[in-house]
Amino acid sequence: MRVKSSALLAIATTLGVSAAPATAQEQAPTPVILKVAITQQIDSMNPFLAVFQSSTEIGRLMYDYLTAYAADDQRVTEGLANRWEPSADKLTWTFTVPEGKKWSDGQPITAQDVAFTYNLMLTDEVARTANGSFVTNFASVAATDDKTVVVKTKAPQVTMLALDIPIVPKHVWEKVTSVKDYTNEQMPVVGSGPFVLTEHVAGQFIKLKANKNYWRGAAKYDELHFVYFQNSDAAVQALAKGEVDLVNRMAPAQYESLEGKAGVTRNKAQGRRFTELLINPGAQTRTGEPIGDGNPALKDVRVRRAIAQAIDLDALVSRVNLGYAEKGAGLVPPVFDKWHWQPGTSEQREFDPAAANAALDAAGFPRRPDGTRFGLRLIGRAGRAYDEQASEYLKRSMSEIGIPLDVRLVTDNQLNEVTTAATYDLAFSGWATNVDPDFILSLHTCAQRPGADGKGGTTDAYFCDETYDKLYAQQLSEFDEGKRVEIVKQMQARFYDQVPAVVLAYENALEAYRSDHFARFTTQPAEGGVIMAQNGMWGYYGAEPAGRAAQSSGSRWPGLVLGGVVIAGLVVVSVLYARRRNATAGERE
Amino acid sequence: MTGFRTRWFSRVGRGDGAVGGFLAHRAGVAGAVVLAVAALVAVIAPLFIPADALDVTRVSDAPWQAPGLGHWLGTDHAGRSVALLVVQGAGTSLFVGLTAAVLSVGIGTLVGIVSGHFGGLAAGVLLRVTDFFLVLPALVLAIALSTVLPRGLGTIVLAIGLTSWPSTARMVRAQTLTIEARPFVERARALGGGHGHVIGRHVLPSVLPLVLVNATLAVASAIVAESTLAFLGLGDPTRISWGAMVHQAQLHGAVPQRAWWYLLPPGLAIVVVVLAFTLVGRALEAVVTPKR
Repeated sequence: MRVKSSALLAIATTLGVSAAPATAQEQAPTPVILKVAITQQIDSMNPFLAVFQSSTEIGRLMYDYLTAYAADDQRVTEGLANRWEPSADKLTWTFTVPEGKKWSDGQPITAQDVAFTYNLMLTDEVARTANGSFVTNFASVAATDDKTVVVKTKAPQVTMLALDIPIVPKHVWEKVTSVKDYTNEQMPVVGSGPFVLTEHVAGQFIKLKANKNYWRGAAKYDELHFVYFQNSDAAVQALAKGEVDLVNRMAPAQYESLEGKAGVTRNKAQGRRFTELLINPGAQTRTGEPIGDGNPALKDVRVRRAIAQAIDLDALVSRVNLGYAEKGAGLVPPVFDKWHWQPGTSEQREFDPAAANAALDAAGFPRRPDGTRFGLRLIGRAGRAYDEQASEYLKRSMSEIGIPLDVRLVTDNQLNEVTTAATYDLAFSGWATNVDPDFILSLHTCAQRPGADGKGGTTDAYFCDETYDKLYAQQLSEFDEGKRVEIVKQMQARFYDQVPAVVLAYENALEAYRSDHFARFTTQPAEGGVIMAQNGMWGYYGAEPAGRAAQSSGSRWPGLVLGGVVIAGLVVVSVLYARRRNATAGERE
Repeated sequence: MTGFRTRWFSRVGRGDGAVGGFLAHRAGVAGAVVLAVAALVAVIAPLFIPADALDVTRVSDAPWQAPGLGHWLGTDHAGRSVALLVVQGAGTSLFVGLTAAVLSVGIGTLVGIVSGHFGGLAAGVLLRVTDFFLVLPALVLAIALSTVLPRGLGTIVLAIGLTSWPSTARMVRAQTLTIEARPFVERARALGGGHGHVIGRHVLPSVLPLVLVNATLAVASAIVAESTLAFLGLGDPTRISWGAMVHQAQLHGAVPQRAWWYLLPPGLAIVVVVLAFTLVGRALEAVVTPKR
């Protein structure tokens, strides 16, 4: 008896729970919420400290930069400043911050805020943690009045219109005593972007509300929630069930599993990421001290070229990326086609194990009696599908040229440790690139190698090459864009020729959204662009809810009524049931 | 008094009695047959599998094919035949299971006999160490070990072996204590038998049957442990084992693809082999356990 009535109760509760959201929606005007699945943790909400992709993505929603990149073609467009003027010698830049733009708390945004932010970074080393590279060349920053900021640089700097620095409100941040300890989670967080951070529970969710004061106009929906998932499998399942509205960074197999699913639209975009295989070229510190324990054979550029030649990039793209990628070449992905470089026919390294074998023989590494030349370690990240699968391919390919690979897949942190300590021979890595190629190119300059203590600098591959460095300095002060493009391409050619790393593939960004909840998202660029991980916030800002009226009231009514009737019926039945049971029990006694 | 010894010699020493006793356990025999087949497959089959069939760079079949005529267990994310993968994986799983079990039982026996025989301070220290390992969740410890040590088959064997010995040690110690309390050990001591003689000639032979049973059961749990670690992505990524197959199936999206043929066969293979080891172990236990 008891079992039966509790079972009834259980049914009633489940029905109650499933009907509850519908009832809640009846009372207040329903906020329209865009729910986004997220798997990467947040390192900090403080824009001066945040470096994770997830954190900077939220940062772009909270704060505008001085300039922005247009959604359709990524050209520089109005941010907080709407006009800018370099002096004739390119050393002084004058930015105009127009009146009328407001912080989310209603205070006006002025040139003082901009000057405050940049000066904070110039004076406080901690504030330079995340975006310090943009201001190292600054001589001074001053706001001459509420509308004008003047930035003086030590040398001409081409990235003056690509300063990816979130501008913070002076009236909030001047009270901050220690940037290092400030979490920036005093909700709601005052910002200038299209959304305002209102709630953050680490590892569970991040909630933002549309900024009604946003100078471009408020977003077309009310709230933006980021919901955490353990892995992308779970996120994809949630999308399929309609629990979230937007998912990105899907694996090819996951993307294909959503094909033809009702209410789901997929977006295959040209990504701005590339995956590479680092080849330790004999790592050294900035002062030339060798560090790490890379195989000395790899110092020979002929060996590195032979390794690159033995990798079948086409096979990797078609079998590991399942075709959702483009074959790797230069450091800048084809999505930025102006800067993208492809090797010419004379430079091209065709996949050719036989030629690679011959080159290794010629380089003085003959096969030993057991058929091997020398062994190498390959480090990758455990749990990343690409690394697990590609390492198998590489192991086979390398054994063809007599190099047995010892594959070690490790955790994220261990991978970081190994690559910064240069205790690798081969390692998987990857970077996201910006509209301006300066950052990705700077990673390979000699100056980016670590200091004597092994700290500082963010070298990618321990590359140090005089020719490359000379070209880097040239492009940094070349204001004629056509010429700069030429130099940037030369740099990529040099990198390709010296192979401190092999660019394996430019992965497509695979995204999907609930088109029954949100009809349209703004992609960047307009053709084949991404929704998430943009150089901007257009994807979230431009989302348009699908026919609200039809969805919220009309279609849910019958379900609600039905649910109510069923619950009422069940309650009546169970009460009657309990009564009868009591009655009979009483009679029995 | 000497009943145990006589039984031991009659059953295991002479052989036929023990075999007869074992044959009486039908489930045990069935398990043994399954194991023999699995071992045969693990040893012989790889010789017949063409090298190209499991080489991701050479296979040309379409990935994610459902079971059918060409591949009767379907294909995986790279287009390799799942059936061949299962066969190939048998070797790794059995090898890791056996070596890890030998390592674990070896450590356990050593610690058990030493602490049981010598007693005193040595026993105290050894037992506290045993308790320490007994209290720690073995899986967590194994994960920690295989994270710290370089990835590979050896690490997995070590991680399982180092974490699963305490129960064997406890059991062997108890058995050692009972044996040493018997008059024949006392007589041996009185006649001048040293530690080596007592352990080597009296304790070890009497403990061995128990150790054997324990080893058989330990193989079963070691295979499961290997599969668990491999599933969690802590194994050697380029080596095919059943656990690694389940891991890859999960990693490459067999669940959203509804590719049950990639998940189920390695899982069932683990179940069958573990069951077989357990059956054999239980049957052996029934044969050799001294009945009083």
